[in-house]
Amino acid sequence: MIKFKHVYKIYEKDIRALDDISFEICDGELVFITGPSGAGKSTILNLLYREDVPTMGTILVNDTDISHLRGGKISKYRRSIGFVFQDFKLLFDRCVFDNIALPLEVVGTNRQYIKRVVLEYIKKIGLSGKEKLNPWHLSGGEKQKVAIARALITSPSLILADEPTGNLDDFSAWEVITMLLDANKAGTTVIIATHNKEIISRVGGRVIKLDKGRLIHQ
Amino acid sequence: MRVIREVFINFKRSGFLSLISIGTIIVTITVLAGYYLISETVNHFMNELQNKVEIVVFLNDNISKDKIDNIITEIKEFPEISEVFFISKLDAYQEFAKDKEMKQILDSFEGNPFPDSIKIKLKDYTKQNIEKLTTFLNNKEGVLEVQYGGKDIEDFLNIINVIKLITAVAGVIFIIASILVVSSIINLTIYARRHDIYVFRMVGATDLYIRLPFIMEGLIHGIIGGLFGWVVIYIIIKILSLQIQKEIGINLLNFYIFRPEFFTVRFLIGCIVSGALLGFIGSLLSQGRIRGDYY
Repeated sequence: MIKFKHVYKIYEKDIRALDDISFEICDGELVFITGPSGAGKSTILNLLYREDVPTMGTILVNDTDISHLRGGKISKYRRSIGFVFQDFKLLFDRCVFDNIALPLEVVGTNRQYIKRVVLEYIKKIGLSGKEKLNPWHLSGGEKQKVAIARALITSPSLILADEPTGNLDDFSAWEVITMLLDANKAGTTVIIATHNKEIISRVGGRVIKLDKGRLIHQ
Repeated sequence: MRVIREVFINFKRSGFLSLISIGTIIVTITVLAGYYLISETVNHFMNELQNKVEIVVFLNDNISKDKIDNIITEIKEFPEISEVFFISKLDAYQEFAKDKEMKQILDSFEGNPFPDSIKIKLKDYTKQNIEKLTTFLNNKEGVLEVQYGGKDIEDFLNIINVIKLITAVAGVIFIIASILVVSSIINLTIYARRHDIYVFRMVGATDLYIRLPFIMEGLIHGIIGGLFGWVVIYIIIKILSLQIQKEIGINLLNFYIFRPEFFTVRFLIGCIVSGALLGFIGSLLSQGRIRGDYY
């Protein structure tokens, strides 16, 4: 369960990125956060994966106030989240296999297990035979699939996706959304920040709408 | 394995900068090693000289035995004195007469040309001690002359001491400079990898997991720098010792620090450990950047 209680994020010169935001998201929910550029969508995700802390208000994830997390607890918290970004955020010094394996590698998972699970995921996303390729050689859609596989590899309880289809053509965008919907059907809470109205209307589901940092619909 | 791979990626990303970092450590280790070798050599020679150099007080012929005893007692009161012994005219004559050539020269004199004398050895071979004692003795009644044979050696040692000081100051400057260079270069590597660091953090990597490759990178720069610093000093010593042997006839290899068992084992390890320490400190100083200054 995620709870935002009267959350404000105010930058210098009184720029209100978030202005008194309150909402709740239940476990296993699929939620779209939408609104025009600068509405505060990415700020909400930044706060949720504890990249930033609110100026005021409380963010509870499973009854833990994540603003109070420090050091190793932040790392541990992030291991329960899978993230997907518009610009993929892949490591271009590593091959597809190593990129997907990264979340398992950082927690010191057994190499044999990593090999088995990662190859399974590579097959699932249709990139078998490309596991040794550098992500440079992949299309935008394939890169995003690698990023989603990396986000799902640890079976996280929460997936945060920030404009995951922003750089993709319609076909690839739909493939990516389908992968996220599959994860949601399997019980993962999925929060997608997007301004792609077509996808929202096709998928349905709950929509949290923001404008200029204020919540205008949920 | 993972750390080695990350270090390798860092080298690949900032190869030229890594070379600058290693180069700075090489220069620092060369200067420090040079300082150490000069200090050891000078200390060694100081000890040797302390045993050999002595002050000789020649006494007037007509001086009484009581007065001689009195002077000796007064000399012994100086805390800087290690040994004092009296050499009579006769003892001096007999000592010199042992040599055949000297005997011939002595025979040309009428009677014994040597005066009574007092030989003094100092505990600590410093200019202040010598001056203090010679001033005292020169003003003493019954003293003919005070000789101190070490003046030239003392001048030479003064020059060596100045060189020692300059090398020590240069050493300190180079230590600071190399730590700053290593730290700045690792900062640049961290900057070059800020995107990767961000991804590591997002997937839940701990601080140590992220920092370790950068610390290792500094350590490796230090180890390579230390090793090559030793190679440089080794080449310098080889060339110098050949030159010194040719010009002055002194074989530096007789001196323990230049012997292979010291120079190629202990000294090499010393250079590598010092280099590693410089690299380690440098990389630790750069670690603040990982906390998020760049993003």
